[in-house]
Amino acid sequence: MIIIGEKINGAIPSTAKAIAEKDADFIRNLAKIQTEAGADYIDVCASVEDSIELDTMKWLIDLVQEVTDTPIAVDSPNVHTCVEAMKYCNKPGLFNSVSLEGDKVDIAFSEIANTKWECVALLNSDKGIPKTAKDRLDVFIDLMAKVKEYHIDPSRIHIDPLIEMLCTSEEGISMVTEVIRGIKEQYPTIHVTGAVSNISFNLPARKIVNQAFAVLAMNAGMDSFILDPLNQDLMGMLFATEALLGEDDYCMEYIGAYREGIFGQKK
Amino acid sequence: MSKIEDVKAKVEIGKSKLVPGLVQEALDEGNKPEDILQAMVDSMSVVGEKFSAGEIFVPEMLIAAKAMSKGVDVLRPLLAGDGASSLGTCVIGTVAGDLHDIGKNLVAMMIESAGFTVVDLGVDVPADKFVAAIKENENVTLVACSGLLTTTMPALKEAVATIKASGLNVKVIVGGAPVTPEYAAEIGADAYAPDAGSAAVKAKEIVA
Repeated sequence: MIIIGEKINGAIPSTAKAIAEKDADFIRNLAKIQTEAGADYIDVCASVEDSIELDTMKWLIDLVQEVTDTPIAVDSPNVHTCVEAMKYCNKPGLFNSVSLEGDKVDIAFSEIANTKWECVALLNSDKGIPKTAKDRLDVFIDLMAKVKEYHIDPSRIHIDPLIEMLCTSEEGISMVTEVIRGIKEQYPTIHVTGAVSNISFNLPARKIVNQAFAVLAMNAGMDSFILDPLNQDLMGMLFATEALLGEDDYCMEYIGAYREGIFGQKK
Repeated sequence: MSKIEDVKAKVEIGKSKLVPGLVQEALDEGNKPEDILQAMVDSMSVVGEKFSAGEIFVPEMLIAAKAMSKGVDVLRPLLAGDGASSLGTCVIGTVAGDLHDIGKNLVAMMIESAGFTVVDLGVDVPADKFVAAIKENENVTLVACSGLLTTTMPALKEAVATIKASGLNVKVIVGGAPVTPEYAAEIGADAYAPDAGSAAVKAKEIVA
């Protein structure tokens, strides 16, 4: 199970304010608390205008690395920003993200091919977001052809099957779980990731929906999560589900995470 | 840290892959098999105490016992025929009419870790079968009876009474969710334990 801490993202108003005001302590603290909460990667996404994006990424990455050794997920819709931002990182992290749109995938894969970087790949293409499970799995097959072409081991790839809001779906998450199962059947060692909170947009009491989604998605094979690791209830739900799925011998991960105060013990 | 201390530490945290190698290294260092066994028994008493105190959870006790048993496998050929370190044999079972076995198995494991040879009769064990097992096995010093249902408490009483009436020189320890120390005393048991960790402690006490 892989936890990608999402809090350093300019799309979140409080983080956007800290970026605008150059509040270094605020950013450092986000890196620190997410590490303590069990994050395997600290996602860094500037969400600012193009002209200052790279400088902002560098500023953020430096601050994160001042307080933690946790690897960084360089996050931008602009593949060139990700490629440049990789160079600011002290150790291999997660490239977030690529897709088959344009030449994104070639640019990214040629950069990470001979490194230990892992990579998030979205299942959209030049034609947009495929509507059916079959179409998304077709995109997946094309994507994996690229993975093979660059000799990247599937275990370094995190497929994001694209989690869309539940409230406008007529069939719940059955399409997404079908995609997840299809992916894991073909490549058992590949990771399936996603931003958990996407599912609950425009619904009340979003936390509940997020938790229920996490359980069902894990049951289908999702094992990498972009989320707020300080959400103890959600973290506990993930560890409990992992144990219930028989992927945690003697519940040692669950017990260990509990002891570390990751969930179940209010600090 | 000496090898024997290392064995103790790794048994306590349930490192079953590491323990056999460390036991071998402790032997190579010149430690006596009996001392290594004793060290592991000591770790398990710590584990049992921590469990009784609510500091650790059932799986943590399980993996510690598993780690010890892997260590004992290394020692066994060297200890064979020498019963010096054994506290004797403990016959254990869940009483007639009762099919619960998880708690009984945990107790069996902890009693074994404390240095007894364990003969497990399983579940739904009639009173006379306990008596037969005491006669059939060598050096039985202790019988442990488990009852998990209020409806099988009379069967627990019968088991203890039958064992005591046989005149055989063994101690009897009882336990199970509905059983209280008062009930244990009332039916003539020698000891009562509320959980697997304290069962091992009590077992050693009453056969000493």
